[in-house]
Amino acid sequence: MSQPILETKVLGKVFGGLTALDKVNLAVEAGKIISVIGPNGAGKTTLFNLIAGVYAPSSGEIYFQGKPLGNAPPHRRAALGVARTFQGVLLFDNMTTMENVMSGQHPRSRYGFLEAALRLPKAHREEETISLKAMRYLNLVGLGMHAQQNALSLPLGQQKILAIARALATEPKLLLLDEPGAGLNALEKQGLGELIRRIRDMGISVILVEHDMDLVMGIAEWVIVLDSGQKIAEGTASQIQKDRRVIAAYLGEEEKVE
Amino acid sequence: MLERLKRRWTYLAIAAMLLFLVLIPFDWFLGQYTVLMIFIGIHTMVTVGLCLLMGYTGQVSLGQAAFYGLGAYFSAILSKTYHVNPWLAMLMAAIATGAFAYVIGYPFFRLRGNYLAMATLGLGLIVGILFSQLDRFTGGSMGIREIPPLSIGSFVFNTTLKRYFLVWVFCLVTLLLAQNIVRSRTGRALRAIRGSEAAAESVGINAAQFKVKIFVLGAVFASLAGSLYVHNFFYVNPGPFGFLFSVMVVVMAVIGGLASIWGAIFGTAVVHILSDELLIEFGEWDTIVYGLILVVVMIFVPQGLFVGLRETYEHWRLRHVERRAEP
Amino acid sequence: MSLDLFVQSIISGLSQGSIYALVGLGFTIIFTVTGIINFAQGEFVMLGGMFSWAFFTLYGVPQVPALILSVLVATAIGAVLYLLAIRSARKASVVSLIIITIGASIFIRGVVGEIWGRDFVRPPYFTGENSLHFLGASIEPQRLWIVGTTIFVALILHFFFSRTMLGKALKACSVNRIGAALVGINPRTMSLIAFALAAAMGAIGGIVTAPQGTTWADAGLMLGLKGFVAAALGGFRSQVATVIGGVTLGILEQLAIRVNWGPFGSDYADAIALVVLLLVLLVRSGKLAAEERTS
Repeated sequence: MSQPILETKVLGKVFGGLTALDKVNLAVEAGKIISVIGPNGAGKTTLFNLIAGVYAPSSGEIYFQGKPLGNAPPHRRAALGVARTFQGVLLFDNMTTMENVMSGQHPRSRYGFLEAALRLPKAHREEETISLKAMRYLNLVGLGMHAQQNALSLPLGQQKILAIARALATEPKLLLLDEPGAGLNALEKQGLGELIRRIRDMGISVILVEHDMDLVMGIAEWVIVLDSGQKIAEGTASQIQKDRRVIAAYLGEEEKVE
Repeated sequence: MLERLKRRWTYLAIAAMLLFLVLIPFDWFLGQYTVLMIFIGIHTMVTVGLCLLMGYTGQVSLGQAAFYGLGAYFSAILSKTYHVNPWLAMLMAAIATGAFAYVIGYPFFRLRGNYLAMATLGLGLIVGILFSQLDRFTGGSMGIREIPPLSIGSFVFNTTLKRYFLVWVFCLVTLLLAQNIVRSRTGRALRAIRGSEAAAESVGINAAQFKVKIFVLGAVFASLAGSLYVHNFFYVNPGPFGFLFSVMVVVMAVIGGLASIWGAIFGTAVVHILSDELLIEFGEWDTIVYGLILVVVMIFVPQGLFVGLRETYEHWRLRHVERRAEP
Repeated sequence: MSLDLFVQSIISGLSQGSIYALVGLGFTIIFTVTGIINFAQGEFVMLGGMFSWAFFTLYGVPQVPALILSVLVATAIGAVLYLLAIRSARKASVVSLIIITIGASIFIRGVVGEIWGRDFVRPPYFTGENSLHFLGASIEPQRLWIVGTTIFVALILHFFFSRTMLGKALKACSVNRIGAALVGINPRTMSLIAFALAAAMGAIGGIVTAPQGTTWADAGLMLGLKGFVAAALGGFRSQVATVIGGVTLGILEQLAIRVNWGPFGSDYADAIALVVLLLVLLVRSGKLAAEERTS
């Protein structure tokens, strides 16, 4: 593959006595939809948090577009082009839907305290751009008509979509989706799948952590399987479905394996 | 359409307020309260900084008196002892105070809640002690007298009336600047941090930096207020810059409402009217009443009294509109 | 510095520091059980002293009952503070609670100032004024009372927390509130007890120290601050470290007063506590910064 958008080399994370991730090596191809699956406690969210910069690795290194991310804090990674959503959605409940998405434009705008205080034309121009782009992202995910509503007035399914729109507004090259399907009904999951494909078509690489196997098998072009902090398999959806190690990892779990 | 209606009411309210302010110094109106109003104007500038800090970072500062005092003393020393132009002195004081707040801001804001409150408390007390102890510069407990007034060319701000308008121009401009900031990308970032710090970071907002910046902003506003104070009363001593003033600012902010800019005027006015008019007969009662206000308001209306009242009003109005819309 | 000045500093520092330790222990108890920093902690020391003076001097209560009554009333006030102000503010943010306890502290201060004025007052010594002499320094017997009482209180606390059911229940609450509730311990009752206990300790410190110095309505602020420093030195967890921290602070202060440094005057003693406070907080801030990048 040409330069992978994301690579991890011997990535490890230890919390106190617990090894959450152990010598994980990944290479994620750009422009694809990749899914990370595994039983509970496999280390999937830890992996996300490491890529997003919420935790610092105990060992190993993460490379984004060939360059090491080092100690960059989360806000710096967002500026570099790594966006993420949260399992707990974490919308800004003190803002409207539109304002939530406009917040996503933060790393792509520049004006600060002074320009804002004095209402300089630069501030005004940037605000217009921000509004336009935010509206575009809202329409892209189909929430345009809810622009002025308070973000929490939306039902959960739409809240999760809004969170994705907010992440998209940062104009990322890599989008990390943390269990985007949780709490969605079958119809919403279908819409989600289509949205993710559209995002991929925009040239954004997507990594999703997901438990719903239907969703994963439907859209993932590559699947990475973690168990107890280690990568135990990777391949296409159909390959890992037949992988003996993967099946073994899931047996004994109350997991839905279709 | 609702937006346009709301805007028209807002313009009306602003016009009414400006008219009110302009008429106050007239003897036939509220002229005897002109000096009180000067204090309210100056202190509002200190309060709004704390309102923003508490509203947007969820932290409290118990040391705003330090920045207020620094502005006052810098201005006094520079303009009296070193004969610097008072306007320049005010600017220099604001820059110095802002820089100081910036330097202590980062280590301070790594602390959370209780520790940060204690740190600001300690800061306020230490700066207060410095004001009394560095008497070579500050005149110790005797203070500095005969501080020159502000002037533009030959127009000197030395009468109560002129000083009143000077203070209120400064105050309103400060509130306007604060509002512009809050309605901008910066304000959005601050609200995002308030909504969910983790999510804010995920969209590129450097929470730590914004918290420090808001802290610095409050410090600069307080410094300007302090400078105005000395050029209004031509005398400074450590008295007004102690812990009690810091607490008073908290009371004003709590009544005014966290994150509320115009509420700052309300909170400051209420506290001043209470302490200077109603309670002045009763000796110690101002601390008793402040304490009671803090406890009661924070239990029942933790977002601040003014904000709470406004929310109740909006809630009532919404219900009223809904009822009228029913067939 | 001459030896007798040094010894004097140590002795005065020990007794002053004991009070800071008591206040600090009060902070720690409330914090570990409820997670709240009670900014009104210093006021209980003030109340202990003021009450003992008022009961004895103004209302003619005999000395020993006056002391006991002072502690009881102050403890009751602590309980009332919790019930009225803290318990009502359910799910309040940290900042709200800080402001509430500050409001309570200035309220208490204001009421005391209103009832008994703002002058310095002094209740009588426990066992008279005649100083003992030791290594060239004179020790007032009250100081022995102070140190002795503090040691006694600290031992009782230790016994209480490790041997009695109630004490263990309190400790359980501090370690895991929900877990404690699940085994039948009522966290709200425990919080009430924590506040009452902290108030009692503060008041005991107050009654024992007021005869030695003076007390007045505004004494609570600096006492609270210095107690906070002691508790911070103990990480708000370790009782032993709090006591050591409080005593150390007391000794440092006394040394500083007697050394007479530079351009600073008599406010210097208070400044020491503030500097230590800021240093402690700065160190903590530094540690947090280091933690941030590795957790």
